[in-house]
Amino acid sequence: MLKSILRSIFRGDPPSTRKGRSELVFYNFWLHIHPAKVRKEHLRLRHTGYLGFVSFFLLLILGVTGLALMFYYHPYPARAYQDMKDLQFVVFLGPFLRNMHRWAGQLLVVAVFLHLCRVFYAGAYKEPRQFNWVVGVLLLFLVLTLSFTGYLLPWDQKAFWAITVGTNIVASAPLVGPVVKVLLLGGHTLGTQALLRFYVLHVAVLPGLAAALVMVHLWRIRKDGGLAPSPFQPEESSPPARERPIPSSPEKTYGLMGIVTGKPAFEVLVPEEEEAVFSYPYAFLREGIAFLATSAAVMALALLYNAPLSEVADPSKTPNPAKAPWYFLGIQELVSHSPALSGILLPSLLVLALLLLPYYDGNPSRRPKDRLLALSLFALVVLAYLVLLLIGLYFRGAGWSWVWPWAKGTGGTA
Amino acid sequence: MVLGLAVGQRHRGDRMRDWARLVFFLLCLANMVLLGLALARAARPGWAAYQRSYHRLEAQYEPDAAAKAAVEGTPVAIAQIILPGLQRVDRCTTCHQGVENPAMKGAPEPFSYHPGISRHPPSRFGCTICHGGQGLATDLAAAHGRVPHWPQPLLPSEYVRASCGQCHTKGDVPGVPELAEGRHLFDSHGCRGCHRLRGVGGTIGPDLSREGATRRDPAWLERHFLDPRAVSPNSVMPNFHFTPGQAKELTYYMLSLTGEEMSSYYTSESVIPSVPYGRELFARKDCIACHSIGGVGGKSGPDLEGVTRRHSARWLDEHFVNPKLVSPGSTMPAYDLTADERTALIRFMAVATGKDAEALLAGGAKSLTPEEAAVEAGARAFVHYGCVGCHGQGAAGGVANPNSQGGQVPSLIHVADDYKKSEVMAIILDGKTPAMANPSKPAPPLTMPSWKGTVNEEDLHNIVEYLWSLKPRGESSRW
Repeated sequence: MLKSILRSIFRGDPPSTRKGRSELVFYNFWLHIHPAKVRKEHLRLRHTGYLGFVSFFLLLILGVTGLALMFYYHPYPARAYQDMKDLQFVVFLGPFLRNMHRWAGQLLVVAVFLHLCRVFYAGAYKEPRQFNWVVGVLLLFLVLTLSFTGYLLPWDQKAFWAITVGTNIVASAPLVGPVVKVLLLGGHTLGTQALLRFYVLHVAVLPGLAAALVMVHLWRIRKDGGLAPSPFQPEESSPPARERPIPSSPEKTYGLMGIVTGKPAFEVLVPEEEEAVFSYPYAFLREGIAFLATSAAVMALALLYNAPLSEVADPSKTPNPAKAPWYFLGIQELVSHSPALSGILLPSLLVLALLLLPYYDGNPSRRPKDRLLALSLFALVVLAYLVLLLIGLYFRGAGWSWVWPWAKGTGGTA
Repeated sequence: MVLGLAVGQRHRGDRMRDWARLVFFLLCLANMVLLGLALARAARPGWAAYQRSYHRLEAQYEPDAAAKAAVEGTPVAIAQIILPGLQRVDRCTTCHQGVENPAMKGAPEPFSYHPGISRHPPSRFGCTICHGGQGLATDLAAAHGRVPHWPQPLLPSEYVRASCGQCHTKGDVPGVPELAEGRHLFDSHGCRGCHRLRGVGGTIGPDLSREGATRRDPAWLERHFLDPRAVSPNSVMPNFHFTPGQAKELTYYMLSLTGEEMSSYYTSESVIPSVPYGRELFARKDCIACHSIGGVGGKSGPDLEGVTRRHSARWLDEHFVNPKLVSPGSTMPAYDLTADERTALIRFMAVATGKDAEALLAGGAKSLTPEEAAVEAGARAFVHYGCVGCHGQGAAGGVANPNSQGGQVPSLIHVADDYKKSEVMAIILDGKTPAMANPSKPAPPLTMPSWKGTVNEEDLHNIVEYLWSLKPRGESSRW
């Protein structure tokens, strides 16, 4: 009986055979995005840092904890703050859930950013993976917007004024700025309408978009020929000697894709036996490790540090300085110098440059020594933003004036 | 886990050293431990221990072992008082379980009985409306509000009575003379000249309508009243040289100004119908002009000594509402009195004697000409709007205003010599910035604010009449 039930669920041969292990991946809805075999090289920590997986798992954790938090949250100002207090004081595991959601959200911003840096340094955005880079950059913006919309929901002073500052930065954009701000807030100031809009964006619109883009992002990895090989491979331009291209042939079936186009989108490079291992168990085990490490880190943070919650939002009491969420502090710093030029134009140009990067970077080589200019320019921009961010975070006091972080009582972190 | 164990099998072609299996297993353990820690923390809240101690305390009073065991085994649960009318939820009774149990008189904290709150039952008032603190919280430090980001810590016990003034905004509160005294000091010293309170007052100092909520710090407030610059060095507020007692009374009054939004249940009894309040009303309505007490006073109405023995309280109350209906042929006008005010008057009449009447007569219930009445009203308005705060008691000046001409806010005693009435009215309505004695120094801190929209026409005329009455006699040809 039990056996027949199991057989109806897992149709393939038992995983003790090579065929069985291929079928385990192939016939499983949740696993079929994987190839049956993966290169050993791609499983190494130093190849990807598993940053994509970590980001994906953080998204999963955020989805689960976020869903749990939704059971306790009312998106209107008179209740939202009290709901935070109820989570903290009376809901079973309430503080733990909120802390996990908060810290996973912050970690996700970091993880996605590091993932982008890793892909840039590996040159993995180059042909044929140009479009997946664009999808990735869009996902980065979705993550930032998700974090930004979530920031308002506790409805405390910090949330209220950070979002006030944030939306004012948006409003200072030329032409569309004021319109976008009104659309975002449902009015000209932060109030009931704004909280509802941020909530709907945060729990429905943006997660939906992110889920769709994540699916495209993962699907494209396979369709673009799997993970990019290491940029440190000695002979980059020609395929490694041990891989032999399978020529398209009329005698062989390639599955639906092959039938549709007549031949595979890319010539599949089948690695030699000693360079590859079955995804089951090796890749899955490592993905499991990535997941467990991520969840352990988030849980440990949630146990050690409470998510901040300041006084209830009071539109008549402006804190000085009012700071945007930390990852936008670089932009706030720029805005403080010149709202239109350095605050909006410069970041907009950078975003555009990031998005279109694969299309104007004509250098075909992925080897670091051929890309010194690109690498150092990128490092410069990242470093400059980090410096601005740190200035905004630690060196700005009342009236956005310069203060030393060790000077007492004047500074403050966002 | 299953996955991890399955890796134990070796297959042909798997040529990777597999340390990953161990890491996977250890991380599984780590995750379970972390989840276990979170569950353990959630399952053992601090308040549950307090409740179990309370149940043990209660069990002492049970006669037999079975009853004791039953009480001790009472399941623990968060207790909360939901107060929609006060926009609060108070969970204080989660630990303070004995608050309404007289058997807990003298029990150790946090279980002791709270005496004297029969008129303000916790079920309708909760705890935090008087004591402050964080009602939503269920752990000690957070509930007592002594944590960052909670602006209302518990009030020190000697200031808790100040909270009575949140609802009892008029008259005096028995047992809290400080409130009425503080309110009186606030009015008589012209604080409204600079500070706005419930929509009336100047704009030089901060609005005080929510001062008790935003600055819930009695020590700071008291030091501030004794010397404003001791706690806020750039304050332009003059030092009024209050005594420590007065500073405390003003602090009480400030603490009562929380601007709390309450439903009508809580605001309906803003006045406590006490004897002193009845006496105040009796004087304000000038009852002694027609009535006598113990033979002292006016003769056109009946003597009021023993009136509460002659008539029931109900009769007197209805008589106040419509004298002619209850007592045909009465010439007494129907005054517009609230139920509390009628009760207060009846209570005062029950204890009033001839001595009270003499005191009331000495207090100056004299008939006034329209001009004198205007001057009198003007003098009251001069205090009510806080003009005395800067222009001094009796408009005699004396409040320092550095770098203005003369270095002081001007005295208004001689204003009739230098200005026309219309000019003074214009200054009151439009405000005025004093000329600087030395243009290179900072501008004088105190300026005459614009009173347009705040002072009505009648008060404006009365204030001017009052100022004109101040001119010392025989000095009209001074200039």
